[in-house]
Amino acid sequence: MDLVKDQIETDELVNAAKLNGEPSWFVNMRLHAAKQMNDLKMPLVQRFDYRDWRYTADAKLQWETSSLLNEDMGQKSDSDISIVQVGQTTVQVKLPADLQQKGVILTDIFSAIKNYPDLVQKYLMTKAITAEDNRLASYHLAYLNSGIFLYIPENVVIKEPIEAKLVQDSTKTNPFISHVLIVAEAGSEVAFTQHLTTQGEKQNEANCMVEILAAQDSQVKFSSVDELGANTLAYLERRAYVERNATVDWAMGILNEGNTIGDFNANLIGDGAQTDAKVIAISSHSQRLGINTGVTNRGKHSVGNILQRGVILEKSELVFNGIGNIIHGASGAKAEQENRILMMSSEAHGNANPILLIDENDVLAGHAASVGQVDQQQLYYLMSRGIDCETAERLVIRGFLGAVLSAIPAKAVRQQLIGTIERKLENGQ
Amino acid sequence: MAKLEVIDLHVEVTDEEKQTSKEILKGVDLTMNTGEIHAIMGPNGTGKSTLSETIMGRSAYHVTQGDILLNGESIVEMPVDERARKGLFLGMQYPAEIQGVTNAEFLRAAINARRPEDNQISVMDFLKELDKNLGILDMSESMTERYLNEGFSGGEKKRNEILQLMMIKPSFALLDEIDSGLDIDALQVVSKGVNSMRGDNFGSLIITHYQRLLNYIVPDVVHVMMGGRIVKTGDASLAKELEKEGYAGLRDEYDLDVALVDEN
Repeated sequence: MDLVKDQIETDELVNAAKLNGEPSWFVNMRLHAAKQMNDLKMPLVQRFDYRDWRYTADAKLQWETSSLLNEDMGQKSDSDISIVQVGQTTVQVKLPADLQQKGVILTDIFSAIKNYPDLVQKYLMTKAITAEDNRLASYHLAYLNSGIFLYIPENVVIKEPIEAKLVQDSTKTNPFISHVLIVAEAGSEVAFTQHLTTQGEKQNEANCMVEILAAQDSQVKFSSVDELGANTLAYLERRAYVERNATVDWAMGILNEGNTIGDFNANLIGDGAQTDAKVIAISSHSQRLGINTGVTNRGKHSVGNILQRGVILEKSELVFNGIGNIIHGASGAKAEQENRILMMSSEAHGNANPILLIDENDVLAGHAASVGQVDQQQLYYLMSRGIDCETAERLVIRGFLGAVLSAIPAKAVRQQLIGTIERKLENGQ
Repeated sequence: MAKLEVIDLHVEVTDEEKQTSKEILKGVDLTMNTGEIHAIMGPNGTGKSTLSETIMGRSAYHVTQGDILLNGESIVEMPVDERARKGLFLGMQYPAEIQGVTNAEFLRAAINARRPEDNQISVMDFLKELDKNLGILDMSESMTERYLNEGFSGGEKKRNEILQLMMIKPSFALLDEIDSGLDIDALQVVSKGVNSMRGDNFGSLIITHYQRLLNYIVPDVVHVMMGGRIVKTGDASLAKELEKEGYAGLRDEYDLDVALVDEN
């Protein structure tokens, strides 16, 4: 029976992929991933049990044109360089002519698979993330249904940040499986900002990945505001492959309303590679968030910093794992991390775990972690000036998050993040 | 005119760690009106700070008997922020430090908390008022963009308390040992700030150990507190008398039945 069922599922996948006009090399990648999927483990999030979550429940590839397209939902970008996707449909791409002439590519992932097969085949889930990593990575590749490809050729410096808006269409039941592939060639520089949101109330899974390949001497600044809806079960995986003297910086605000796993890592492959990861997360209602933020130091004198701040409201749960992995041979490497959680309610659960795996003697590594209640002395002080309790709490929270917020270089991202944080706090109080 | 009345006030303080409580105030009576400056003097551990914290509403302080009235209305059951909006202000001995919130932003939030939504202070009015008060307190403008009290020296914190007082303009300011840790120059500046508030719409209760402060802010009424009660009330000359004779002298002169303890 199973063989027959497998065959039917395989045929369906092949048909759907062909319907999308995909080349056979990519269809084969999908098939391979689908076959191995169930033999792989789920991603490990220490001290966080999500056995009951129904990831990969909807294993089929189904194309849809979003019905949201006809409505003016404000899904436009004012940036000069931008891409907007609603569900599986790309509704806007802006790339100035001078950048096009320099060879910069900004397009949806399926156009890239068809039009730039050499580039995509070389980088898509080959180095930063592979389908073999875990079951959700295989599921992702097998049923991928949307995404973005950004390519910056050697020594091209893009001064203005690139904005991507990705809207999950939950007016229908269909998983949102999106892949952002960013390839920064040697000596290039780019800042990429993405905003994830949900329209509609249907229960759906979101499996969203970002892969960054930063070649020698390149600089990539990635920032994101994640604002997926309450009925979205989210898996966010973001990984960077950082070569010699290249830098990849993350600034992420995990502000989803639904249950979420975030798994972020920068793999510092080359000597002198650097990364700086700044993560803010807020959990509310009965939401559960499990977040791994990691740095793998492989290159000599590679430098990785992790700074995480989380706020837990109501009956929610938040686990921050800071994972520092220094591989043997990465002499002179530096790895610092700080994970702090502020609990605003006695019914909340929080955990901040530094996990250090160091297999090299000549390194500098440090960590700090804390989980604490809101400081009553601070609240009393603010309230003694006439500020009401909720506003006082918000000020204290903002102060707590300030260490991360003030370190985010792009003002627009910072403002957007502050706005989203205020909204989430107001709803959660 | 506003009126603050403390009537037969008994207060217990709970120590949450030790799970114990102790009666500190044992029947305090005090009435003050705006337009008046009152000073409370007394030895350590006698309940001066307890009185100011209780009037403000700190949660560890429990009123077991008596009442506190602001313009005839009992405030004992009111939350701290509401008391503040009704016109009370406590200048604290140890102000909290709050990262990520600038002084200026905080001041505006505090001012606007007392004003209706449709009548918030304009940026121009705010800055004008701020500049004027910074000038009086000899504070640099850069202080306003720093995070609230974060990394401030003891003297800077005290000045900042008075700056808040001058911006918020409460009816009654309870000033808890604003002179502690100040050198003579800073003391003069802080006093200048408080004196600039003097007028028909402002009253203050100044808590201090030392008479020195009262040379700069001359009180209308001086109370001496010992053993959880106000044992003597007089005019500014009472403070001078105290400075000469000490609390023990006062106790003996008036044959007061209190034990003097120095908890420091």
